[in-house]
Amino acid sequence: MAAQMATTKVPEVRDITRIERIGAHSHIRGLGLDDALEPRQVSQGMVGQLASRRAAGLILEMIKDGHIAGRAVLIAGQPGTGKTAIAMGIAQSLGPDTPFTALAGSEIFSLEMSKTEALSQAFRKAIGVRIKEETEIIEGEVVEIQIDRPATGTGTKVGKLTLKTTEMETIYDLGSKMIESLSKERVQAGDVITIDKATGKITKLGRSFTRARDYDAMGAQTQFVQCPEGELQKRKEVVHTVSLHEIDVINSRTQGFLALFSGDTGEIKSEVREQINAKVSEWREEGKAEIIPGVLFIDEVHMLDIECFSFLNRALESDLSPVLIMATNRGITRIRGTNYQSPHGIPLDMLDRLLIIATSPYTEKETRQILKIRCEEEDVELSEEAHTVLTRIGLETSLRYAIQLISTAGLVCRKRRGTEVQVEDIKRVYSLFLDESRSSQYMKEYQDSFLFNEAQGTQMETS
Amino acid sequence: MAVQCWLDALKSAKKTALLHDGKRKVHYLFVDGKEMAEEYDLKTDELIVRKWRRKNTLGALGQWEIEVGDPATMAISEPHPIMESSSNPVLMRKDTKTSFQWRVRNLPYPKEVYSVSVETVERCCIIRTTNKKYYKKFSIPDLDRCQLPLESSALTFSHANNTLIISYQKPKQILTLEQDLLRELKKMKGSGDGDVDCKTQ
Repeated sequence: MAAQMATTKVPEVRDITRIERIGAHSHIRGLGLDDALEPRQVSQGMVGQLASRRAAGLILEMIKDGHIAGRAVLIAGQPGTGKTAIAMGIAQSLGPDTPFTALAGSEIFSLEMSKTEALSQAFRKAIGVRIKEETEIIEGEVVEIQIDRPATGTGTKVGKLTLKTTEMETIYDLGSKMIESLSKERVQAGDVITIDKATGKITKLGRSFTRARDYDAMGAQTQFVQCPEGELQKRKEVVHTVSLHEIDVINSRTQGFLALFSGDTGEIKSEVREQINAKVSEWREEGKAEIIPGVLFIDEVHMLDIECFSFLNRALESDLSPVLIMATNRGITRIRGTNYQSPHGIPLDMLDRLLIIATSPYTEKETRQILKIRCEEEDVELSEEAHTVLTRIGLETSLRYAIQLISTAGLVCRKRRGTEVQVEDIKRVYSLFLDESRSSQYMKEYQDSFLFNEAQGTQMETS
Repeated sequence: MAVQCWLDALKSAKKTALLHDGKRKVHYLFVDGKEMAEEYDLKTDELIVRKWRRKNTLGALGQWEIEVGDPATMAISEPHPIMESSSNPVLMRKDTKTSFQWRVRNLPYPKEVYSVSVETVERCCIIRTTNKKYYKKFSIPDLDRCQLPLESSALTFSHANNTLIISYQKPKQILTLEQDLLRELKKMKGSGDGDVDCKTQ
């Protein structure tokens, strides 16, 4: 009994929505264009780069149309001029239904897989197939939800959910994941819900008509629906998007008990791919499936070697090819795997296929604006003077360095119990952390006292 | 005739049989890629389990779906976020020699509550309860496969020990079909205990 009391008294304090971590581009929510594709100066986390954003907007339209396969775009510009930000903006504006695969150029070099295999997998990850599939759902009106929390406050919760239709009633046992999503959706007695049995996704359809006379505080948007009929468990056809790569993986697994021993799929046989291609085009002709060409984004594309580029040349000609977006910060440099120099480290025949978008360094005003957006994203308040100082730092060193200083200065300010970051805080972190140019300056001065300084003549092979 | 179609499909399917645990286990692989597994009692020749497995649209193997036998024997591979509570009614099919039989356990209500009807158009049987606690629609796949009509006169039900038992008299065609099949299976060289190569896998 005492335990029972304790259970009821524990207040619901834990927040169920998880806090997302802040990444380098988490402030970007789109390309910041209006309906006429004209870029706004500051919008959706994007600042400046008007011409390149407008160009990206046109590419975006092309992707959304989905008619043109195998086009390639190169975003070129100095480091820290928003190349990845533009790619992220495109990804955000495409929405969750269009596949967007991002990888760094160096990711394809693996011991387990050949470079071309890794590239073809990436290509196929970027092609979506919308197809109907049958799934089992549970549809009914909630009669009762009962959740028991352990008296200690920690440990697994157990719960029961009673659902009914006009004909029957069933009690379900709930796992902790289900309890969490039920309370997140604020499901209560009288709601009509559907639960996808395979994924556990809950959809609220509305409130039951029988509860229409309850004097509950209800929003104006509360919808009333009939209590479902028949059985609680139904089979329904749902449309969802899977990538070609996922279909490949499903079909390339060893069947039977041998499947237990092959966890990793590794390389996929080309016969399997051909078979899948044939099947998908058959589905498309029958109207069962729809192909959604997505986007493959390769960052640091100068890391690819000549073999990859020749593979890309060929792969872009296939009609099952996504729109390829590449980004690089290199100028004229050696093509990896050869001794030839070429712009962006990309062979000329490949460059010939590309639409090139250039990004240019930010102006003072734009830098200021970006820093402001990042401050909001990282939840740091900046005084006017500190903002000006930080902008100067951003212009003289690099934007990335200035952004790094935001959260560190924020911490310094918090430690001295301040509410707003002042110039002093910025100065403090500026003296604590070196930027790239000061660091190399330091190196030059004190090179003699570092270890292995006799190897100074040879330079590291980087490209 | 449809009965013949099904018999031919069974005959043309790749079959593997083994004797194990006092049961004759047979695995069928049909031409269209569906798989069926059956288990017969060696002494009485009664069908204990029949289950199906087929590939979904994308080509992935699905779970085994039990047509005849106790679903509880299937090991649950992972804890599922939502499961029917064990106190709920469960329907399972357990045939006898002469009739198809379904048992619904955990039904504590008196016999008057239940009504079982045959929907000839929809080709299924429906269990209803007047207190709106249980409702189930189920088909008889054996009759569907042979495209035989459903008849309400063949259906009877009784209630005892919290269990509702529904019987459907097997039509003559089904009885002869099952005898034919059993004869066929007995002709197969059922290897003895131990591991065997499953050619169909």
